[in-house]
This record gives sequence, C-alpha cells and structure tokens, in this order.
Amino acid sequence: MTPDDNSALIRLNGISKHYQMGSQLVRALDGISVEIGNGDWVSFIGSSGSGKSTILNILGCLDRPTDGEYYLNGVYVEDLGPNQLAEIRNREIGFIFQSFNLLPRATALGNVMQPLVYSRIGYRRRKDMAREALRRVGLDDRVDHLPNQLSGGQRQRVAIARALVTEPSILLADEPTGNLDSRTSADIMQLFDQLHREGQTLVLVTHEEDVAGLGDRVIELLDGKIIRDRRAGEPLH
Amino acid sequence: MLYVIFESTRSALISIFAHGLRSFLTTLGIVIGVASVIAVVSLTQGMSAFIGESFSSLGSNSLTIQSYTPISEAMRGVRARVTPADLELIERRAEGVASITPILYASRTSQVRYEAQTTFSQIMGTTYAYGDVSQSYMLLGRFIAESDNLTRRRVAVIGEKVREDLALPENPVNEYVELGGEWFKIIGLLEPKGDIMGFNQDDIVLVPYATMVSLQGNQARTDIQIQLSLSEEADVEDVTRQLTALLRNAHDLGPEDDDDFVINTAEQLMETFDTIINMVTLVIGGIVSISLLVGGIGIMNIMLVSVTERTREIGICKAIGAKRHHILAQFLIEAMLLSLLGGLVGLALGYGLGTAISSSIDSFPPASIPLWAVGLALGFSGFVGVLFGILPAAKAANLDPIDALRYE
Repeated sequence: MTPDDNSALIRLNGISKHYQMGSQLVRALDGISVEIGNGDWVSFIGSSGSGKSTILNILGCLDRPTDGEYYLNGVYVEDLGPNQLAEIRNREIGFIFQSFNLLPRATALGNVMQPLVYSRIGYRRRKDMAREALRRVGLDDRVDHLPNQLSGGQRQRVAIARALVTEPSILLADEPTGNLDSRTSADIMQLFDQLHREGQTLVLVTHEEDVAGLGDRVIELLDGKIIRDRRAGEPLH
Repeated sequence: MLYVIFESTRSALISIFAHGLRSFLTTLGIVIGVASVIAVVSLTQGMSAFIGESFSSLGSNSLTIQSYTPISEAMRGVRARVTPADLELIERRAEGVASITPILYASRTSQVRYEAQTTFSQIMGTTYAYGDVSQSYMLLGRFIAESDNLTRRRVAVIGEKVREDLALPENPVNEYVELGGEWFKIIGLLEPKGDIMGFNQDDIVLVPYATMVSLQGNQARTDIQIQLSLSEEADVEDVTRQLTALLRNAHDLGPEDDDDFVINTAEQLMETFDTIINMVTLVIGGIVSISLLVGGIGIMNIMLVSVTERTREIGICKAIGAKRHHILAQFLIEAMLLSLLGGLVGLALGYGLGTAISSSIDSFPPASIPLWAVGLALGFSGFVGVLFGILPAAKAANLDPIDALRYE
C-alpha cells in the first residue's frame, strides 16, 4: 500500500493515540488501520471509551495521532502545520456535532456563512452559497432565526448546512442524533441518506446500532481497537 | 489581511453590541480617562489661545528693557541698573524705534487713597509715549502730556479697577487721590483691557515720570524700565542686537561679562507663558492618563472573561477552519474597538466638560481642543486596547480546538 494508491479518500495506517493521565497511560486508539473510499458511508460504533470520538478528531484534523500514518486525499496529514490543518478542516471536512455547536449570536444564515469567511469569500457570494446550503437541508424559510429560536432538528440542519457549504470531501458526524427525539432523528438520518445518494462521503460516530446500520459499512471499536468491520445489514453475531 | 480585518471588525462590532451594558461598563475606564485628559487639554489650550490674543493686543512690536541682577551678584550687594542715561542714549542712537518711554515703579508704597477708601495698585511714572507703546487708550479725560512731565505736575491717569476699588464716581476726572502722601488730580481713565493670567491690566495708576522721580527724592540711583515700540520697517532681532550692543557699551561690560539687563519682547513673554501652559498640560495630562492605563486593565480583564466565556465558540470556529490569526485578529480588534469607542465617547464628554467648566467660571477663556489632542486621545486609547487585548487574544488563539470544543 503506497500513498500514491489513490483509490481511497482516507487511509489510516496503524494509528494510535496515547494519553498520559496521571501515572497511567491511556490507549485511546491502538493501531487502527482503515481505508474509506470516495462516496462511502462509514459508521464507527462502540461504547463510551472505545475511542470512537478520538478517531473522529483525528480524521477531522483536530487532533494528531501519537503514532501511525493518516493520508487524506493523498496528503500526508502529519506533515502539516496548524494553519494548513485549519485550511484542510475548512476545505475538506464538514463537522456535525451532537450538540450542534452553532454560534449563538449568529443567525442560521450567519452560522452557515462562517466557514466561508475563513476561505476568503466575499460577503455577497457567501450569502448566496449559505442560502443554497440551507435550501439543500430544507431550511430556506428560517435563515434569519437565531439558534435559540430554532428546534433541535432545525439546529442540526443548520449545522449540516454549515458543514456542506464548503463542499467538503468528507462529512464527519459525531452522534448527530444524540440530542434529538426519535422522529427528528429519523428526519436527520433521512437527510444523511439523501446526501449519501448525492455522492457525499460520510463518516458517522454513534453508539446506536440502528443509526449505524443505515450506512454502507459499520466499524466496531472496543478499547481503541477495531473488533469488527462489516457491511451494514449483516447480522451482529 | 484587509479581508481578515474587515471580517473581524464586523464580528467584533456584533459582539460588542450584543453585550451592550457590559461593553459600556468595560469602556467606562477609558471614557473617564480620555474625558479627563481632553477636558484638561481643552481648558489649558483655550487659555493658551486666549493669552495669545491678549498679548497681541499688548503690541507685538514692543520691547521692554529692564535691569537684571543674577542672584549670586545680588548676594554680594551689587545691583544692576537701567538708568535715565540709558534711555537718553537709546533715544539718541538707536534706529527703528518709533516711541520710547521710561517707566519708574513706585518703590516705597503703592497705596492709593480716595476719601475713606484705600487700595494697593501698580503705580508707575511714565511719559506720554507710554500710551503708544503699550497701546493704552483713554476712556475719559486725557493722557499724561509732555508738559505734565516737564512741570512735574501732580496728575494721574487711572485704570478701571482702581476706580472701582476706590469707589470713585463713574467719571473720576478732576477728583483727587492721595499717592505716597501727595495729592494727585485725576486727569483720565483708561479703557479697560482685562486680565492676562490673573494679572489685572486695569489695576494701574500712571503719573508723569518726572513727578515720580521727584517723589522718590534722591534715594539711591534710579533703576528704571524702558519700554519702546518699533517702527514698522524695523526688525525685532536687529533692534534687540543694536540695543544690546549700546547698553553693553554704556555699562562698561567686557566681552566675558554677562548682560546686566534683559530685553523682552511681547512675543518672548507669550512664549514663556506658552511653555508654562504646555508644561502644566503635560503634567496634568500625564497624571490623568494613568486612568487610561487603569481603563486598559479593565478591558483586558473583561476580554479574558470573554475568551473563557466563548471558549466553545472559539473551538467551533477552529473546527470549521479558523486559523490562529483569525481568532487573534477577532479578539484584538474587539479590544481595540471597545477601547476606541470609549475614546470617542470620552472625547465628546471631555469636550463637553471643558466647555461647561470654562463657561461656568467667569472670565475663563472658552475651551478649545487642538487636533493633535483628538488624534492623541484616539491613538492612545486604540493603543491601550491593542496592548491589553494582546494577552486575551493570544490566549484565545492558542486554545486547543478539542479542549475548546469540550469546554462546558
């Protein structure tokens, strides 16, 4: 396997993440090797402490692994400085969080426009692109509302629009339905499904089997190791 | 870069106005600091402008010659003098002099009495040329004439302040006042001139020069002051040089000796006042600008709180692609704008305060703010904002995105 072998969008090779917590060495990730192709929908599943959030942070270039190699779109990420990582987060990655993480003082439109500020796009163009992204998630009638004037599902839609607006290579979602009721969850998952069908690469982290099961592929983590990598829909045992 | 500044300004303004009350309280330190600096500067500068005007009315082309004894000489009992002989010499030899007059101050007592009223005033012996030189004009009666001088008449011209102090009638001409035990007939009242730096120019009694000399008897040799005005084409520096040479020669001063007299121009006096006022402005301004520093610390404090409060937001921004300098610029510009807004409010407030003070005190000149003070106040408050914004902004920019996102 060489880095030039470009069929995979994401290639993790022996990724480990160790923390020193007091006198104890915590192995949050321990030798993870995964390839994710363009247009895949992959779900990482595991109980809390299994390392699924850590792997999402590493995939999202928020965190650096202690050991191992990470290629994103053929780029060896470890070589990059903080500003280049910020640029990658801006251009290649769209984050969706469990608690939405919207800027409280900005309107829905303002929130969606924010990533474009960092890619130096002019105000008018930014506004048009943000409107278009909000239209894609079905929120074109709520653009001028503040986050606290929106329901949980609507907030997550704004967050998804914000993730989509830069047309990233991958969408990373950390428990996207964790704070939503089951009906809204279903709506959001349906939106993900629609995005997937439009060709968007999706990486999801969840502990809910039925959420994970909606994707192409489910990777089970336990204590920082992959214990199973299966196609969705395959029986658990 | 311009783009970053523009966008940061936009978001900083949003955040400043989102916390209206807090922003206001934060900037209060700067507001008060700038307001007091501006109030002080506007008052002193107003005074300076006023003094400039007063001196120009004093006649900018007039010179005063008076004796000067250094303290070390005075301790040895030596006293420098400017004598009537010097006056004669200048009259005969100097060029470019339009009019010249001696002034002899009353040396024993300066008490003036009218009926039961007594007052102390500046009593000066001088000649008819004084009117020209000092640009004094008559309100009533006439000025001292040459013949008054020649015959040593006991007549006096008084200023408005003296008339008031002695409770003389509105028209005091032909009344008699007592000066140094002699009765003087008032022949004229001067047009009021007003104050210069607390010195009332109308508190003055003029008598003929020769009369004053005779009043003083032959006590010691007279030390007089000479005032002269220049003819229009004469150059102040040329005449000063000429007079210096004449007097040094007359006083037998060797090349090593210092002048035993000083020649003052109205301009020099004005410059002296200006220097004093600028010094006062600087000192008070300096003291007051400490409050700007305190204000800056207040801003730093609130910005630190604001960084902590917005830790999660900073994490979000970093997650969606904000670079270090985006965050740095945002907080730095917010601190600077906060401080600058305070500076603007303070500027308006300070000007208002200065105007209110100057108009509430009688005879105080109107306040005026020079442009440099405006620039300095805004520049300094902006600088304070940047200075005290750096720490919080750096703290924000250096936050680890994961920790920031986890922050509750």
